[in-house]
Amino acid sequence: MKLQNKISIRFLLVTFVVFVLAGVLFYLALGHVVDYNIREMLDSRRASVLLYLQNSEKDKIAAISQDQTIFIRKIPRTNDYTLLSDTLAFDHDEKGMIPYRKMVFSTLANGEYFQVTILQSLLESEDLRAVIVSFMIFLFLMILIALFFLNNWLSNKVWSPFIKSLADLKSWKLSELHRVQFDRTGITEFNQLNRMLEEMMGKMLADYRNLREFADNASHELQTPLAIMKSKLELLLDDASISGLPHKQLYDLYQSVTRLSKLNEALLLLSKIENRQFSDKSEVDLSNLIQSRLDYLGELFDLKEIKPSADLKSPFIIRMHPVLADILVNNLLSNALNHNFAGGKIVVTSGFNEMVVSNTGSPQPLDAQKIFRRFAKGSNSMHSNGLGLAIAKEICQSNHLELSYGYLNNCHCFTVKKMGEDGLSV
Amino acid sequence: MKILIIEDEPLLSETIVSFLKKEGYRTEQAGSFDQGREKVNIYEYDCVLVDIGLPDGNGLGLIREIKKCHPETGIIILSAKNSLDDKVSGLDLGADDYLTKPFHLSELNSRIKSLLRRRKFDGQKEYTVGRIRIIPENRQVFVAEEALAVTKKEFDLLLYFVTNPGRVLTKESIAEHLWGDFADNSDTFNFVYSHIKNLKRKIFEKTGTEYFRNVYGSGYFFECPRETAANVDDPYPVEKS
Repeated sequence: MKLQNKISIRFLLVTFVVFVLAGVLFYLALGHVVDYNIREMLDSRRASVLLYLQNSEKDKIAAISQDQTIFIRKIPRTNDYTLLSDTLAFDHDEKGMIPYRKMVFSTLANGEYFQVTILQSLLESEDLRAVIVSFMIFLFLMILIALFFLNNWLSNKVWSPFIKSLADLKSWKLSELHRVQFDRTGITEFNQLNRMLEEMMGKMLADYRNLREFADNASHELQTPLAIMKSKLELLLDDASISGLPHKQLYDLYQSVTRLSKLNEALLLLSKIENRQFSDKSEVDLSNLIQSRLDYLGELFDLKEIKPSADLKSPFIIRMHPVLADILVNNLLSNALNHNFAGGKIVVTSGFNEMVVSNTGSPQPLDAQKIFRRFAKGSNSMHSNGLGLAIAKEICQSNHLELSYGYLNNCHCFTVKKMGEDGLSV
Repeated sequence: MKILIIEDEPLLSETIVSFLKKEGYRTEQAGSFDQGREKVNIYEYDCVLVDIGLPDGNGLGLIREIKKCHPETGIIILSAKNSLDDKVSGLDLGADDYLTKPFHLSELNSRIKSLLRRRKFDGQKEYTVGRIRIIPENRQVFVAEEALAVTKKEFDLLLYFVTNPGRVLTKESIAEHLWGDFADNSDTFNFVYSHIKNLKRKIFEKTGTEYFRNVYGSGYFFECPRETAANVDDPYPVEKS
């Protein structure tokens, strides 16, 4: 959940509870006041009725008041009582039933007992109550909305430097070797955070640069001595005076040197890709490329009795350095062939934004986390340096492609997928 | 045939020189950009091997220089692996071929021969080893004066052997010659083996002699078999297969 939403929700929740409680209390208090008022009015009318009864002659007492809210009738001797109740009665003005508070009491006047019923309309107070309550609700909603927007606006404003830093961090890639410069903000905590981040990044970049420089230099410096060793050994192997065991030993040496120099080449290639030294991009149709590679390698497949099947009608066009495209396709096919068994299958398919190379091989799925790591060898093969897939992955990463592994229907599937510039799949 | 090697690493340069001398070329060495420039301006060579990464200048400059003085000279670039832009610009400047270090000497030999064949009127247009005659331009093979039908790969393989007769070609160098980058594949050696077996059979059927010989598991040796009497000091006796 986003920070801002989290805050907003808490904020609104608390406001809501407070408002509901206040509303209920206010409603109760209002009811109480209204009741009290009604009672007072009834009491004052009772007083006037009593006065009227005291002062009127016995036979002239009207049974019903003009406004039909007071009813008086004689009753036999009784004890004093006062009853209050709510009732509905027809009202001519309103042309309908309206609520009344009814007070029934008995009184003794001039030696006779009377029962008096006073009706007090509740219509006005109900109306008043309704108006007040709806106004309250309206006010409450207005405040809630205002608070919501205020809160959003405020959080946006306050958190914007944080969100910007976060976006900067997200787009930051160690391997691209550029520093992120955070803006100064008006908030101390954020300034501190940004300063710490800058320091950390600086340290990481320096370490990374050193490490990479070392690796680059090492592979570069190894190249020439390896080339010399290799050619000297080749001369020796060609020397007819060396035969038998010494020849065999020389050949072992030659094989190891060849392996070493291939490894070194692969490492150099990796660092060149990482250093983005393949910037000369052009449109390459990987689908087409892989088809031509399949044709070219046909004999190799035949030899292993592997029947490659390809569905490459859909072009898969990527902007990348043509040589990298070549290496990518090569490594994927090489991997599919190398880790296959005789009589196995290789299936290559392409779509508008993805290409899949799948092959039969070991019956267990591979560890998707590990296979793209450098030197992640399945077997300690003389011919696999454990860098093929790492290179393929690196090529993909530097060209907005995603290389992923999956195990489906007993096949190891390697999928190359187009990614947007923002790193999300399209 | 005169070849100039412009390479700053003396050991590598010497190795190439001793190899080419065995092949019968006259060689000269230049260890720096300036030396190289001096030599190409004064003398004329049939072929120049140029290292791109020289300490005192870019080999590409030398290519320009050579093209200016002696446009007939063949040029092969020697360069570090994957310096692809060098490759493109080098070939654009008029270099004939490009080899990445470390390369196989037999591959270099093959490339030099092919280059001389293409560039020079008096270059060898066909190769003959024993009763095998191969005409690279038309991709034709004649065994015992009869045309031999070979696949594309078999032709490349045979040409590689024919341009390097009497030399041990390692399995690695053959695989790389045929497959380039894909040579790392675990099955390429089997592939080399099966192709050589086929070629061997085809040639044996026509001539009754074995031209290919296995060398202690390291590679193959291609030579016209000598007279039986001379076989006594044969370094790589024919293995019956």
